This record gives sequence, structure tokens and C-alpha cells, in this order.
Amino acid sequence: MAAVDITYKEQAVLLGRNALVGIVTRPPATHQKDEPAIVILNTGIVHRVGHHRMYVSLARALAKSGRTVVRFDFSGIGDSKPRSDSSSPLTASLADIREVLDSLEKTHHVHSFILVGLCSGADHAVLYGHTDPRVVGLVLMDPTLPPTLRYYLYYVMQRLRNVRNWISVATGRSGLLRLMSAHLKNSVRPSTELAGLTLQNLQFSSYLVRCYRGAAARGVRMLSVFTSVSVRHTYKQQMLDAFPEASAGGKLRLEFFPDSDHLFSGEKERARLLAVIADWLDSR
Amino acid sequence: MNPLYIGTAERRLFGLYEPAAPSRGRPRAAVLCYPWGSEYIYAHRSMRQLAARLSTAGYHTLRFDYFGTGDSSGDAAQTDLVGSDSDAEAAIEALKDIAGTPKVALIGLRVGANIAVHVASRHPAEIDALVLWDPIVSGEQYARSLQEPSAADSDNELGANMLRDLRAIDLRSDLEVLPERALMLVTERLPAHEQLRGISIEFLTAPCPWIESITTSGALPVPVIQRIEEWLR
Repeated sequence: MAAVDITYKEQAVLLGRNALVGIVTRPPATHQKDEPAIVILNTGIVHRVGHHRMYVSLARALAKSGRTVVRFDFSGIGDSKPRSDSSSPLTASLADIREVLDSLEKTHHVHSFILVGLCSGADHAVLYGHTDPRVVGLVLMDPTLPPTLRYYLYYVMQRLRNVRNWISVATGRSGLLRLMSAHLKNSVRPSTELAGLTLQNLQFSSYLVRCYRGAAARGVRMLSVFTSVSVRHTYKQQMLDAFPEASAGGKLRLEFFPDSDHLFSGEKERARLLAVIADWLDSR
Repeated sequence: MNPLYIGTAERRLFGLYEPAAPSRGRPRAAVLCYPWGSEYIYAHRSMRQLAARLSTAGYHTLRFDYFGTGDSSGDAAQTDLVGSDSDAEAAIEALKDIAGTPKVALIGLRVGANIAVHVASRHPAEIDALVLWDPIVSGEQYARSLQEPSAADSDNELGANMLRDLRAIDLRSDLEVLPERALMLVTERLPAHEQLRGISIEFLTAPCPWIESITTSGALPVPVIQRIEEWLR
């Protein structure tokens, strides 16, 4: 029989008005650090456990080092009920984050938070975190980045090597053409407000730039992690080119995982990710 | 929806209990056994839908994560099939206590169906109905598919003991002892299904919810969920 690990405690909770299902992982009271709580957001439609159970491992490891970690399901995802109002999915998710932080403040007496997300989770983190003063840090794994001129150059260079891509261009089915067309369309009508925004059109939205600018202006610390196969990212410095303000004041740390897929499927890559996050959290 | 923990301090299991909608009949209960590995991740939404549907139909339902999986304690490397069988037994005991029923229906998807067969054959008096939804027919073939380079489950997630146990799955011999009411639902038809005896098999056309592309497309196996509810009635 395996021995139970007593270096952390886990509690199943229902958070906020919509009773979102979550798990709070904490160190024993004697080992609790006076640090912001870590809140991990869903990746797409996968429930709070995460791909390869990576959020469970991350939560337990961080709790062992003295931090409180919360994983929960957005309304309509995993085990949480959908909202009964007519909110758009994005508005609902951002409202969920606010309600979860409100709830944790009351029940667990934590008043500052670091949001962690991969892909859509990273986008939710920055879209929410730029305004709430309780959010003091963001861990963004493969977040959405706007395409820069250099992005397009690398994109073309990568794809020129494959004959099939030439055929796609010739037949009008090229991903690049679709991307540039969407870019042009959104340049004409830039979205500077949250209303009407979706995660699908976020890449070209001026609102996203505003979010990064706002987070940086508030002094929010950011760790951005990029894997090799993110379709929205073709070169290392793209985030700095897209959001030059985000790196101001040394608040942004960039990390690259050239051997990892988008879901950190390799055990070594997940171990390295955990080490990077733990190191970033400790390097205040 | 009530999240809770069942099992023992050494083997703490996360579960989700949904009470039955009020009905005039006697209380009924169903334990749902998840698939394993990446199939568990992708099938989660469909299992939740099934639980909600059964709850509305008057069933107290309990879903649970096996030790070393999901929100339960333990690591993947500590898992084996015998342990997962004992977790299903713990879930049955817990639901009988909560719902106040002497028996439960047991429903399993993929490896969860194989676990359900093991448990049902050991505790026939406690199982009033058994539903096997696309069980693994050949463990050897299943384990091979998990180890392909394109598979979502890397070796480290399998664990040596679980891999050994998965390889040893032989549904044909497991079907020798079954409760009186048992049904197998198959959406992914294989030649091996023709050799199975001792259980009623229905072939349905429905999406396979344990596959990533199916789940991300938003498709739900509605015909299977409907059939399970109808058959249990």
C-alpha cells in the first residue's frame, strides 16, 4: 500500500455564486508561506486536472514548497455547471475568475493571486489579470501573440521548404493567406473593447495589446513560456516585439521549450516546466 | 453536484456525487467507472453528461477517480488494475451508504468497463445491472496502441505495473461470470467482438468520446447515453 503524502492537503470546494468545482491544495499550516495564492485556469475544454495530469502535479509540488494552489473548472467546463445567464463564453470565464478570487479571499484569507494558464488559459489570465489589483503575477504558457512582420517572414521561410505549401498557396488554401486576410480585416476594424471579443479573434485585437500594457503598467510580474509548435509564435523575441511595454522594468521573463509539444507531453519537459515556474516564483 | 473524497487515508479517492431527482419509485444508484490515461481526460465530458442524465432519471450517481489518476491521491507510477478494481469497490460501498440502496448499477467505459466486469463478477449480489461501453477486448492490442509514438500517453504515465495489467486484459474470459442483467454497447466495432459470448451486445452509431478530436469537436455520444438510460429503466 502506497504511503500517503502528508506534505500537502487537498480539499474539494465549490467556489463562488455558481458553485464552480475546484480543488485547493495547501501545505500544512506550519509550512504555509505568506505568498500569493496560485490559481490554475482550464486549458480549452479539458477539466482542472490538465493534460497529462500536469496541473495536479504542479499544484502538489508548489504546495509542498509552502504555497496555496487552486484549480477550478470554468462554468460549463469539466464538472462546473454552465451559467444560467446569457453571457458569452469569454465574459462568463472572466466573471468566473473574479468570483473565484472573491470566494478565496473570504474562505481562505488570501488577498493576492498569481494566475497560471496554458493556451486559452493563458489568454484568460491576461485578459482578466490586467485590471484586478489582486492579481500580482501571470504565468502564460503559449499565450496568443499578434503576428508581427518578422512572424510572417519566419512563417513563410518555414513553409517554403515544403512543396505542399506551394500547392496550398496556388489553390488558395494557404493558412498564411487566411491569416493575412484576417489580419487585414481586423486592422480595418480593430477591437479595443472586450465586448464582441472572442478567443478566436483575440490574435488581431488591439484590446490584447491594451491588456499586456495594463498589466505591465500595474507592475504585474510575468513568466511567458513558449513551446516549439505554437502556431501563433515563430521566433523567440516575438512577444517583445508584439508587446514592448510588457518587458519594461524587468517584470517579464521569457522561457523557451524547443523540444516540447504544446501540451508538455514529455515527462522531462513537464519537470523542467515545474522547475522554471518554481524558480520564477522564488525569484522575487 | 457534490465533490467528495472516499476510500481510505492511504488511498484517498476524489468523487462526484449527484443526487437522484425526486421520484416516486424506490431509490436507485449507479457507479460510473472512467476510462484510463488520456481517454479519461477526453471522455470526462461525456461521463458527466451520462451522470447528469441518470440523475434526472432518478439515479443517485457517483463518478470517481482511481488512485493515481485525476484528483485522487497517488501517482500514475503507483497504479495497477487490481488497485483500480478495489477503488471501484470502495465507490460502490460509498454510494450504497449515501443512497441507502442495497445494490447499484455499474457502468464502465473502455478500461472502466473491464474494471466493472472484474468487480461485478466478484460481487454479483451488489450489482443489479452492468453496462460495458466499448470495453477493451484485447489488452495486448490496447497496450500497444498506448505505446505508439503518436499516442497521448507517454511511457512514464503508464507505470510498469499498470502496463503489465493492461496487457493481460482478456475480455472473453472475464465475461464468464456476469450479473443477470448485463449489456455491452459498442460504437467501435472490431472482428474480436464476434467471438464474445455470454453477454448481449448492441452496436450503435455514435462518436467515440475518448478520442481527442471527437471531444474537441463538441460531439457527444447521445445515442449511447440515451440507450443506457432506457435500458436501466
